[in-house]
Amino acid sequence: MKKIAFALLALTFSLNTFAASIKAEVNGMVCAFCAKGIEKKLKALPQSQAVFVDLKKHIVVLELKPGQDVPLDDFKAIIKDAGYDVTAAEVVDKTAAEIKNEAAQ
Amino acid sequence: MFKKYLVLLGMLTLPCVAQAAALMGFADSIMIMGEAGHDYQEAMVNYSPVIGHAFGVEHMRMEDKNGMQSSISALNYTRLIKRWNMKGGQANLWFTGGVGHAYGDGDEGFAYTPSVQFDYETTRLYFLGKLRVMRGPDMNFDTASVQGGFSFYETGFDETQPWFIVEAKTMRNMEPAFQVTPALRLINKDYFLELGVSNPFDGEYRTPRINFMFVF
Repeated sequence: MKKIAFALLALTFSLNTFAASIKAEVNGMVCAFCAKGIEKKLKALPQSQAVFVDLKKHIVVLELKPGQDVPLDDFKAIIKDAGYDVTAAEVVDKTAAEIKNEAAQ
Repeated sequence: MFKKYLVLLGMLTLPCVAQAAALMGFADSIMIMGEAGHDYQEAMVNYSPVIGHAFGVEHMRMEDKNGMQSSISALNYTRLIKRWNMKGGQANLWFTGGVGHAYGDGDEGFAYTPSVQFDYETTRLYFLGKLRVMRGPDMNFDTASVQGGFSFYETGFDETQPWFIVEAKTMRNMEPAFQVTPALRLINKDYFLELGVSNPFDGEYRTPRINFMFVF
């Protein structure tokens, strides 16, 4: 019983403490005007907390609201519909702002 | 509903198409494009239901080398034939075609405006080549153009990026038939604006030109 309570506590703690973001490398993004569709579609997701696009490093980040999830295939489909190709995507425990700061360094 | 009003607005403000790498927006988007110069104005509004296809209307007005006024209003279809997405760049092959009606000081009747365009762009370099047929009764404004340029520096996604672009264009029955236009291009995620001067070294034909694009 204690183990279950501890697991639940740990789960709650992790959901509230660690931000989850989908970070992807995207090919073809060269201009903000052309890549606007990516930001617009990702921001429109109900699970979306923040979006970060970096043209120089070819990165798109979707920060998720606490406890929310977007399947990677759905995320890739949104990028594809905007006209671009995802070459790699992963879920990371960072906020969009943190990834933006890292990219700026 | 809002998009319908935007399409209507675009159609009503037609009197003035930018030749940019993107001839359509993303899926479920509306794009408005315009070009205004001394003897040539063009505007196009299109809606893209899915990536790769866009449907719209276009209107263009020309004043030829004899001072004759002509205009073409057409329904327009744009197709992204092929896109190459690369790590540091993107290339596109486009088809755009319009069928409609031509009006002018001479004859009027059926008009058609098919074109093909290839472009290649990185965050610092840009190239475009375009061939366009513009025909109506006793009307021929076939056009061939190339553009090349560079950005002064890279910018973030939320910043405005300035570019220097030079276009060389030939257009039948226009005076002069060969035109060179250096231009300052400003690209932001919300707009595309280009301000240029056609034939800057020829006092007789030196004229300002503006191109713009908005996507919603």
